[in-house]
Amino acid sequence: MLMADVLDAFQLPFVQRALVEVLLLSVAAGALGTWIVLRGLAFYAHGVAAAAFPGLVLADGLGFSPPLGAFGVALLFALLVGRLSARGRSGHDSLTALVLVGALAVGIVLASDVFHSAANVETLLFGSLLAVGPGEIRLAAVVAVLAALATYLLGRRWLAVGFDAGAARALGVRSPAADAVLLVLIALAAVATLSAVGALLSTALLVVPAATVRLGTRRMTPWQLGTVALTAFEGTAGLWLSFQTNAPPGATIAVIAGGVFVLAATARVSAGPLRRLLGDDAAPVAAAATLRGGR
Amino acid sequence: MTVLASVLTALGDPWDQGIMQRALLEVVLLGLVGGALGCWIVLSELSYGAESLAHGMFPGLVLAALTGIPLLLGGAAGILVAALAVALAGRVPGIGRDNAVAVVVTTLFGLGVLLALSPSSPPGIQGLLFGDVLGTSAGDLLDGAALAAVVLAALWVLHWRLLAVGFDRLSARALGAPPLLADAALLILLALAVLVAVQGLGNLLVVAVLVAPAAAARLLARRLLPMMATAVAIAIVAGIAGLYLSYYVRVAAGASIAGFMVLAYALARLATLAESLRGAATLTEAN
Amino acid sequence: MSALVEARGLAVGYGAAPVLGDVDFALEAGERVGVLGPNGGGKTTLFRALLGELRPLAGELTVAGRCGTVPQTERSRLDFPVSALDVALMGTIAGRPWWRRPGRAERRTARAALGRVGLEQLAERTFGELSGGQRQRVLVARALVQEARIVLLDEPFTGLDAASAERLEALLDELASEGRGILIATHDVDQARAWDRVLCLNRRQIAFGPPAETLTREVLAATYGGAIVTLPAEDGREALALLPPHHCDHEHSA
Ligand SMILES: Nc1ncnc2c1ncn2[C@@H]1O[C@H](COP(=O)(O)OP(=O)(O)O)[C@@H](O)[C@H]1O
Ligand SMILES: [Mg+2]
Repeated sequence: MLMADVLDAFQLPFVQRALVEVLLLSVAAGALGTWIVLRGLAFYAHGVAAAAFPGLVLADGLGFSPPLGAFGVALLFALLVGRLSARGRSGHDSLTALVLVGALAVGIVLASDVFHSAANVETLLFGSLLAVGPGEIRLAAVVAVLAALATYLLGRRWLAVGFDAGAARALGVRSPAADAVLLVLIALAAVATLSAVGALLSTALLVVPAATVRLGTRRMTPWQLGTVALTAFEGTAGLWLSFQTNAPPGATIAVIAGGVFVLAATARVSAGPLRRLLGDDAAPVAAAATLRGGR
Repeated sequence: MTVLASVLTALGDPWDQGIMQRALLEVVLLGLVGGALGCWIVLSELSYGAESLAHGMFPGLVLAALTGIPLLLGGAAGILVAALAVALAGRVPGIGRDNAVAVVVTTLFGLGVLLALSPSSPPGIQGLLFGDVLGTSAGDLLDGAALAAVVLAALWVLHWRLLAVGFDRLSARALGAPPLLADAALLILLALAVLVAVQGLGNLLVVAVLVAPAAAARLLARRLLPMMATAVAIAIVAGIAGLYLSYYVRVAAGASIAGFMVLAYALARLATLAESLRGAATLTEAN
Repeated sequence: MSALVEARGLAVGYGAAPVLGDVDFALEAGERVGVLGPNGGGKTTLFRALLGELRPLAGELTVAGRCGTVPQTERSRLDFPVSALDVALMGTIAGRPWWRRPGRAERRTARAALGRVGLEQLAERTFGELSGGQRQRVLVARALVQEARIVLLDEPFTGLDAASAERLEALLDELASEGRGILIATHDVDQARAWDRVLCLNRRQIAFGPPAETLTREVLAATYGGAIVTLPAEDGREALALLPPHHCDHEHSA
């Protein structure tokens, strides 16, 4: 592959816009992704992005700002899951799964049967990075600034709670407000990633790169900088590849990010590769153990 | 009287068609398996696992559709790969299981989407995402019935062991019910149930039948067997309601079935909330 | 007569490093042994080893008989949809081929066991709706159904009112007099004085023997560390007391 080829693609205005979007999202996702991984909020991030989907459809159909609609619904999700899971017998994970699948069902019905935007469903679910407009770029820029700012101001609190919620409370680090800010910011970031990678693959930007870099470092600042860099790299590579192959960019980025994770994990555990990984349990047992610990 | 008659006709009307009859049977199978197994999934807090496995199997389904091998086979292989990947990723030190599962699912789902939506793929792969309950064939029904029979029989036989493990994991081994075996059994049954339900609800919505009816039933029933019966009933009623809606309003069938299931949960939640409010009111009156 | 449980130089832990070591004791039939120790001292860990859940990292552990267990309270899930009878019936699992479900005979056994602990009337009640003392007795009934020769009770008296605690203690005396071996983890040193022997743990075994000889100041100080205080008493003798256990580090994952 010639370097000129690569550069050629980036001469096109819509590819340039996509590139700017990806780079801005990297800052937002890199800063927040580390917190998502540290605090075990991956399922929440996934749920909040999926929940934003009907908001997107609604806004698309009624003709108001899509990010506004998506953020409204995402916020509703944050409130619902946060509130209802505090009490009640049904587990937190069931609730997340329920709201998630309910939102998808509503979104699909709205898209295919109410607004007849059936062709759009796939775009909304899996993103259309090559068609981002100035509005989406502005949103990404705002979220990037907010994420960086909040990390700078609140990082210490998030970190304390991240390691030990009980001890943090005992130390007088009050968490509810800081936590709420984090949850809302994640919702915002999820909405910002929708246009690029879609409602179902936002974790490709929000979780996978941060988890990958985590394999190599335990200190917060290198972790965050590394995540921003890796997200930018994976996003750019995915953008270029999808432009070349005409494949959906969100899915391309997800697969690239997963591949990099596999490489990093292999390097990390190469000391005693499969034997250590497999341990002595049978695979279904290990899978079951991992899945039940999921929440 | 004529109103009643016309309502009855309207209720009976859809079921004259073979398509709708098969869809009805599919919905019943789905409700039986999803409702019963769902209770264990909800009680064992395996909802995230159910969601992950369903998404993780997507590339298997797409590959099967592209190459023309039976979907059941592709789905089974997909689930196997997903479960293995999850097991491996869970052992990578330092990132936590929640994140490990997210990484695996994102990657596999991305791979499936890449295959399904690439320009060279035939259209109609959407059916894999959202299900096609109206496209159920007699063969699908037979496969589904066989799998459903296996799942229900296994639940029947394993009931007390699953109960002991779910109730108190740490004492279960001493009672003769090793927790890890129960976990593995649940995982395998979950895979089978996903295979049954994916025909009707598709990859994205399958988790609805595995979680919503059981979560609703948990709010309403106070014993496990009644809970299972309630969950199955809710699932089947929601399924039939979804079929009616899609028949008369021409709404996507899978999405409306999933929607009704989640709605049932929301109603159950409201009912219990109202009850507890009433209980609180009586208390304040008494004081 | 050989011991029901015998530990020699036993060490147990959750990873490679033991959290409890140097354990040497024996439980004979008909004995009530109090297991004393601070929070995190290793009482629950010892029980998990006896149940076969943790393998010994060093030393030997022989368990000659079936173990019934009354786990630390919050662990059994209170919102699980089971009745008291269901819980007692769980004791019949091991005695049945894997494909058989409990039949009439098993139900009769389970009801009889609930009757022995005085809960026949509440057999159909949801487990989580019973009082703390009643729940402990249901779990004892489950051990009876198991025909357990060894019964492990992990802090069964925590949170019980005096009447319930008395009732449970009488029940334990009865079980011991039938020739079962009983191990009771507790925070109440005075209560343990009434039992046959005490085993003091604090990350390792501090002492083991009859309470009168074993529970000296030194042993208690070594067992509980700084959490022990001396109370001036009216009749001239000093009394020892423990600061109330703090439960913040004691969340057991369910
Ligand atoms: N599941 C576990 N994994 C790792 N360490 C544990 C686990 N459970 C307990 N521990 C550790 O083992 C030690 C003993 O705990 P435990 O046996 O529960 O004490 P006790 O029951 O006497 O309060 C504690 O330091 C605790 O932190
Ligand atoms: Mg303990």
